[in-house]
Amino acid sequence: MSGFSLLISHLSLPTMTNNYFEEEEFTTQFNGKVLKRIFDQTKPYRKNLYTFMALIATVAMLDATFTYINKLIIDEGIMVGNRERVLQLVTLYGSLLFVHISCIFGFIYLAANLGEQIQYDLRRQTFNHLQGLSLSYFDRTPIGWIMSRVTSDSVKISELVTWGLIDTTWAVMNLTTAITFMLIINWKLALIVALILPVLIGIAFYFKQKILAEFRQVRKLNSKVTGSYNENITGVRVVKALTREGQNLGEFDELATTMYQSGYRAAWLAALFLPSVQIVGAMALGSIVWYGGWQVQMGSMTVGGLQAFITYLTFMLFPIQDLARVYAQMQNSVASAERIFSLLDAQAEITDRPNAVPAATFQGEIEFDQVEFYYKKEKSVLTDFSLKVTPGQTIALVGPTGGGKSTIVNLVSRFYEPKHGVIRFDGMDYTQLTLASIQSQIAMVLQTPHLFSGTIRENIRYGKLDATDEEIEAAAKVAHAHEFIIELEHGYNEEVGEGGNLLSTGQKQLISVARAVLANPRILILDEATSSVDTLTEALLQQGLDALLEGRTSFVIAHRLSTIKRADRILVIANGHIAEMGNHTELMESKGHYYSLYTNQFRN
Amino acid sequence: MLDSPHYPPLDLQKTLAKNRLISLWRLMAGFRLIYLLAISCLALAVASKTLTYMLLRYFVDDMLSQHHLTVPFYVIALGFVGLAIIEGGFTFLSGRFAARSSEGIILRLRDYLFDHLQHLPIAYYDQIKTGDLVQRCSSDVDALRRFFAEEAIGVGRITLLFTVNFIALLNLNVKLSLFTVMFIPLVIFISIFFFRKINLAYEDHQNQEGILSATLQENLSGVRVVKAFSRQPFEMAKFEQENWQQYLKGRRLVKMHAMYWPTVEFTCLFQYLLSIFMGATMAMNGEITIGTYMAFVGLAIWIIFPIQNLGRLIVQLSTGLVSYQRVAEIIKENREVVAHDDLALSNDNLLLPATNGHHYNGIYTNGHSSSSVTNPTLLQGEVIFDNVSLAYGMDAVALHHISFMVKPGQKVALLGPTGSGKSSLVNLLPRFYDYTHGQIWLDGKPLKQYALPELRQQIGFVEQEPFLFSRTIRENITYGVNYKVSDAEVEQAAQAAAIHDVIMSFPEGYSTLVGERGVTLSGGQKQRIAIARVLLKSPRILIFDDAVSAVDTETEQLIHAALERLQRGRTTFIIAHRIQTVMQADQIMVLDKGRIVQRGNHAELVQQPGIYQQIYQLQAQLTNE
Repeated sequence: MSGFSLLISHLSLPTMTNNYFEEEEFTTQFNGKVLKRIFDQTKPYRKNLYTFMALIATVAMLDATFTYINKLIIDEGIMVGNRERVLQLVTLYGSLLFVHISCIFGFIYLAANLGEQIQYDLRRQTFNHLQGLSLSYFDRTPIGWIMSRVTSDSVKISELVTWGLIDTTWAVMNLTTAITFMLIINWKLALIVALILPVLIGIAFYFKQKILAEFRQVRKLNSKVTGSYNENITGVRVVKALTREGQNLGEFDELATTMYQSGYRAAWLAALFLPSVQIVGAMALGSIVWYGGWQVQMGSMTVGGLQAFITYLTFMLFPIQDLARVYAQMQNSVASAERIFSLLDAQAEITDRPNAVPAATFQGEIEFDQVEFYYKKEKSVLTDFSLKVTPGQTIALVGPTGGGKSTIVNLVSRFYEPKHGVIRFDGMDYTQLTLASIQSQIAMVLQTPHLFSGTIRENIRYGKLDATDEEIEAAAKVAHAHEFIIELEHGYNEEVGEGGNLLSTGQKQLISVARAVLANPRILILDEATSSVDTLTEALLQQGLDALLEGRTSFVIAHRLSTIKRADRILVIANGHIAEMGNHTELMESKGHYYSLYTNQFRN
Repeated sequence: MLDSPHYPPLDLQKTLAKNRLISLWRLMAGFRLIYLLAISCLALAVASKTLTYMLLRYFVDDMLSQHHLTVPFYVIALGFVGLAIIEGGFTFLSGRFAARSSEGIILRLRDYLFDHLQHLPIAYYDQIKTGDLVQRCSSDVDALRRFFAEEAIGVGRITLLFTVNFIALLNLNVKLSLFTVMFIPLVIFISIFFFRKINLAYEDHQNQEGILSATLQENLSGVRVVKAFSRQPFEMAKFEQENWQQYLKGRRLVKMHAMYWPTVEFTCLFQYLLSIFMGATMAMNGEITIGTYMAFVGLAIWIIFPIQNLGRLIVQLSTGLVSYQRVAEIIKENREVVAHDDLALSNDNLLLPATNGHHYNGIYTNGHSSSSVTNPTLLQGEVIFDNVSLAYGMDAVALHHISFMVKPGQKVALLGPTGSGKSSLVNLLPRFYDYTHGQIWLDGKPLKQYALPELRQQIGFVEQEPFLFSRTIRENITYGVNYKVSDAEVEQAAQAAAIHDVIMSFPEGYSTLVGERGVTLSGGQKQRIAIARVLLKSPRILIFDDAVSAVDTETEQLIHAALERLQRGRTTFIIAHRIQTVMQADQIMVLDKGRIVQRGNHAELVQQPGIYQQIYQLQAQLTNE
């Protein structure tokens, strides 16, 4: 009868991924705009929505009607001994049964499919929107937060527009039909029920709120407990090396005990819910028995009528429970929606200008013209920075961490744009060009190389999607990745694992160099690209990189001065300025910052 | 083991049995009585519900009888309310007892797992996936909680509802009651049949959800690469594919639910309808009273409809068993041996390996060996590897017959290509792995005779990628010491590690949180905090596992200066790539494929043809070019 709510719980167990992140605060007031926007999501499927609502309404009415038919069987059949009437009523019941189950089939099918559809739509929308957002968005938003939006909030919203609607419709229709029948049977008794109904609903709503708050607390604690496990497992070597086991267990037990207490409290609160609603319901039942019994004796009410009242009252619990649950969960869903919409509303800070044109193949001239840049307004990273790079030049960037080296390459690749001043590619302000046409001509190799799960071949191919196997191998040879790849059991078809975890950092760096080689870019950026490669390989790779750098404009950031000394120009960047500039020989002669760095590194 | 006021202690490894149900029964030790109470209360609640219908029957028959009423209406009414209060009270108590026992069992399990994991050997961690292990400790444990708190109780409730009400029905009329349960086996059959399938489809759906999240996660963490290669359309297509799969799998699940619920609902309602017809006929024939008929109509609902959920619960119980299995696999693993008793017992007449052990006898610096596993006084730091081999698993030999000797306070450098066994070698010292052959002597005593905590307290290990905890910087630095540390001591350690100034530049100084919710530290900064952490611990033996290769030059110099301070008077093992890091060492060993291929000091090794010379020349060439 009220199996639908149970069905929901089976369809929508929380996924594992969102256990890792703490539940967010939620808004307490209902936001009409957000609700409207949630239901706008169903716009393409409105017909479905209305159909399943009509179906569930029918089911709810039939549920209440069956009880009324039972009443008729007693009063017009059994009490007067009319067998024909009994048969008639049973036949009616039976035929309504078919309507009933067809409607159940229909609404589950339509609603659940709509739920899947909405979830699919939301995930596609958010993912695709994310692809267009600027890097700054990802710098200030933790991955975990975004993950929760796409994976779990989308589910919560799709549940609200399907099961939330179903439960509400069923509950409202069921109550309305039941009360109508009760009024027909005996309006005085029905009034007693009508009086007690708000009390019941009030208690139910109050309880559900409390229970939900308690469960939210449990979930928060649960994610902390999970976090503890996670940290102790990842940091197990440190824990062991520092013999922290005893203290860690103590700390964990404290946390787990808090969760135990909270979980226990939530569980018994939940256990209190049904009995308290039931007892209030029983008081209504008592007054009906008392007053109704008297009325039956007086002849103003039938035995069947009494039976119907008792049944209606006993099962009134379920719609009330459903309503309270939906109400309590709706707050969560609205909060989910607010968060997911905030993601969808986030504007890309760097977009194509309305009149942007695709760039032609670059010659490779790059000019910084009085560029100023900051991530936070108070703290300028680059000020009045000017630089002109002629096509094919290799520029090495040297200097302390936080000096602005990475910012320069981030500006070149237009992950960020200057706050003041202009950057020109081949003499043209690059904001006048389309992003895609710029970025497709730039390749980057990063210090912490990121690989995607899949094979080595697929990862190299990322640089050029239509590359043949031969091209991939050729690129790997240039990067000197080929040697270690063919040593692997499956060669180029070896799986690299999630994030490339099955390979060493050095190997990942070589593969990302190969990826850049394959991309054959006009502008190349190497950001600490070879820091974790061992000396013998680094020497080999250097030759490959030399070949790669030939004829392309490139920026190289490296800590090993040996890898950058052959650059055409070396820029020592400190405090957002060019502190020194020149080639290796010149800088060595000027005996400045570069000189001291260099001699320090090779002091022996 | 921990002393908790919330549960009696229990060694969970002893609860393991071949039969999972027996294991679960043992897991409940100390909570069985309270669980029994929960079931008993449930039975009483169900019985009160049944009595309500019996009261109804009495009431109707009494009221309709031609005689005057035997009991006034208000007494009956109070009876109804009273029974409801009894039913509610016991339902509540049952829930409370069930929660008490299930939460208690789970708290004990959580604590045990946490502690157990801390004591499993490192070798165990090499073969597991963190995500999977965390999932077992969180989701599977939670599934087990639901098993005790909801599913087992749920099945109990349905069984009790059926049994008690059926007995009541039998009392009313045997023929009618047998007729009423006619289709029940069919309902059970259908629901188990469907839910087994639904569950498979559901798991499939969940797996796809996992794949989808992984795709998303990779996209997000690789956002720079995606942008750098303008691969947004490619990524969208990739996500779309998984998302679509998810959608299809969701629809499959929907289809099954849409088949199941109407089918089972129809069977139940049809059964109910037939029973009503039968009951009505019997009432009209005078076989039963009107009151009996009305009680019957009410009771039948409580017999037939709960059965709808039985299948779901039974299937969930069986997945609970699967979850238990996954948790039991962790419990089953053996903990690290704290100290090898067999060695300790035979300590007085220790035999050195017959082949080549004896020539080390004369060089013990501290002459005697203590006679049992005791707290070692401060170690001197003399380390002897005597023909040591290490094999991971059956055939992956990482070290072959390694022998060398290090005097207290000496600095040893290890050099060699990736996979040559350098890390394996230093991992033996804190007994992260136990060597499979030969013997390691520490201050003249076999390494395995030292109790683990005491041994590890005297060894400082700085890893290649230092791991910091999501706590404050201060807590990270004091992580390794188990006594109260003054702020001055912490700052001193930080100063020595050349990180104090960086820390002070954060607005919250030493109270700054590390990690996702705090500051993001650079590799070099993390490295220096890890060094401060080791410094504060003041170990006798130091190990640097390639600790400085990924930091910039200036930081490296700072770290080196810090290291030199740290190394004074301590035996030090250092793994590095670059010549200038290792050239000061008292001994340099070059490893290749698990063997020592060259040894000596810098002056000797540059003269020898070999790997060392090769690396030296390459690095010099890069410098002087």
